[in-house]
Amino acid sequence: MATLTRQDLNFGQVVADILCEFLEVAIHLILYVREIYPSGIFQKRKKYNVPVQMSCHPDLNQYIQDTLHCVKPLIEKNEAEKVVVVIMDKEHHPVERFVFEISQPPLLSISSETLLSHVEQLLRAMILKISVCDAVLDNNPPGCTFTVLVHTREAATRNMEKVQVIKDFPWIVADEQEVHMEEAKLIPLKTMTSDILKMQLYVEEKTQKT
Amino acid sequence: MDELYLDNIDEYVNDQNKIVTYKWLSLTLGVHVNTAKQMLYHYLQQKRNESSGTSLRATYLVSGKCVENGSTCHKVSVVREDKLETVKAKMDVTISVHVYSVQKAELKDSSPLYNTDYDAVKENLKNCNKYSAIRCAAAVPMSSAELQKAQEMALAPPAEREISKPGLNENTSATSKPSAKQPAGIMGMFASKNASKSQESSKEVKTEQKDDSSLVETSKSKTASKANPMSNFFGKSAPKKADEQQNKSIKEETDGSSTATATASMKQSQTSPKSETDIKEEQSKVSSAKSKDTRNKTKRAEVVDSDDEKMESQQKKRRRIKKPQPDSSDDEVVPDSPPVPNVHTPSPKKQVKREPVSHQEESSGVKRRKRRRVLKSNTFVDEDGSFVTEKGYVSESYSESEEEPEPNSQAKDTSSLKQSFGKKEAEKKEKSQKKTSTANKPTKQPSIMGFFQKK
Repeated sequence: MATLTRQDLNFGQVVADILCEFLEVAIHLILYVREIYPSGIFQKRKKYNVPVQMSCHPDLNQYIQDTLHCVKPLIEKNEAEKVVVVIMDKEHHPVERFVFEISQPPLLSISSETLLSHVEQLLRAMILKISVCDAVLDNNPPGCTFTVLVHTREAATRNMEKVQVIKDFPWIVADEQEVHMEEAKLIPLKTMTSDILKMQLYVEEKTQKT
Repeated sequence: MDELYLDNIDEYVNDQNKIVTYKWLSLTLGVHVNTAKQMLYHYLQQKRNESSGTSLRATYLVSGKCVENGSTCHKVSVVREDKLETVKAKMDVTISVHVYSVQKAELKDSSPLYNTDYDAVKENLKNCNKYSAIRCAAAVPMSSAELQKAQEMALAPPAEREISKPGLNENTSATSKPSAKQPAGIMGMFASKNASKSQESSKEVKTEQKDDSSLVETSKSKTASKANPMSNFFGKSAPKKADEQQNKSIKEETDGSSTATATASMKQSQTSPKSETDIKEEQSKVSSAKSKDTRNKTKRAEVVDSDDEKMESQQKKRRRIKKPQPDSSDDEVVPDSPPVPNVHTPSPKKQVKREPVSHQEESSGVKRRKRRRVLKSNTFVDEDGSFVTEKGYVSESYSESEEEPEPNSQAKDTSSLKQSFGKKEAEKKEKSQKKTSTANKPTKQPSIMGFFQKK
């Protein structure tokens, strides 16, 4: 197949689509593994040819989809630096932060036919790593909630505030409290490098979760 | 054998935080599976004795005979260590127990176990049973010519309908080479394992909620009466060519509350039992190794034949495997963004229960309208004000070659909250209604290759 470069209209969208699909699966899996929600709402679905746990609850699914729908334009333009899933305890202090650092190489071209199955393999490995992350993390206190933060390069969010991507789903600048965590331990989980995408996943964990 | 392997396993488990299954270990270290099982066992013993193994967790594969719902069956399951003794106690005869995997993490469900083996097997597709304990000389992958021929035969005869997974069809141009080979390859892995030994290295299925005795009977009578080539698989007289009679659904009982998944599917060939052409999902109970032909005694196979001579009532009683857990229906429903349950348009494609209008059967080239029962997921708020999601079977009419259900069938889908306030959808049906569980449509999991289609 022909080589695609970033100039090609579709290319940025393709990468953004792949990434958003992955992030959706990853967020559901994090919610399952860290027991943010009871496991009864999850059911096994298939992604990348392996079983993954996805939630059935419509409101939760809609929330996650809307979130990623807003993130997608940022990824398309390569303005999203990090997507963070923050898990907070009852007092809204973060106890864990799952950080997906994303970078796309500036000059991209897809020339390999096996590229996508390679990417699929890497994403599968990421999913596997999330599934076993409870071995390296301490248990969370009960009653945790989660939120999704996006760190962007420069001031790309200025545009986001002006134009609501989804009606009634505004994005606001995050509180300092949610962004920074005191006494954090850094636990790397997985890194993946491919022609179209580089991604690192690590967890910042509060040393004392009470 | 030297002791280096203990260090290797230690590195995998503790340093890399990997899940080490015996299959993965055998493929990685290049040893026979039984050696791998021994290695894991020794490793566990050593670590436990040193008392530094408290963070280690293990899963076991237990297989044995037990009595369920009044019938004896051979049950094989993967269990967590804490459930091991209970499962063993439930069995009348425990035939084998061995370590399945060792890891640090406490697994909440069995998906990571599958995920671990997936890539290892995929890389070694051609010789993934090199180290396996199961052998069958007759099980070789079909050449592409044979594959073509078998597919043509599958389409041609009107008396027979095949439900085949389109991913295997080489005619499907929608998939690129790697992803097309991949399902074929995985199926090849299943097909090349012989079932004559009960010691399988794959995760086996144990299904619950089955109408065992009646199904077994119907299957026996059916296979005896039919001269159908399909009966070759299930006939008692043909115990041997049973290579592709591997069970397909993967369901583990890792813990009592885990739900089943049917992920793998079965291969079946129409003409030649030796070779694999199409995939059918089948859940079977495998009998003991000693008596090879007892495989068929307990097998409840799913046969989708449509002889014109058959009566309607017989068709109703036809073997259909009812999916034990409805969530398996969503296996192949991988939405790009998981939809709210009311947009389950892909799901009807997967769960097909054929109730053909037999007198209207014509030659195969013509579109047929059929009704089928489709698994739909329905979310609504019940009297207490709590969310309830129910999965129920809904009759839908569809056309053979149609990809999506008709718009009017969507109207039946009352899963949107507003519409379904206070309404109850049909529940799981009586046992006699079974359904086939693979698609007969050229649909598959939307793969990311779709982005790169040249149009």
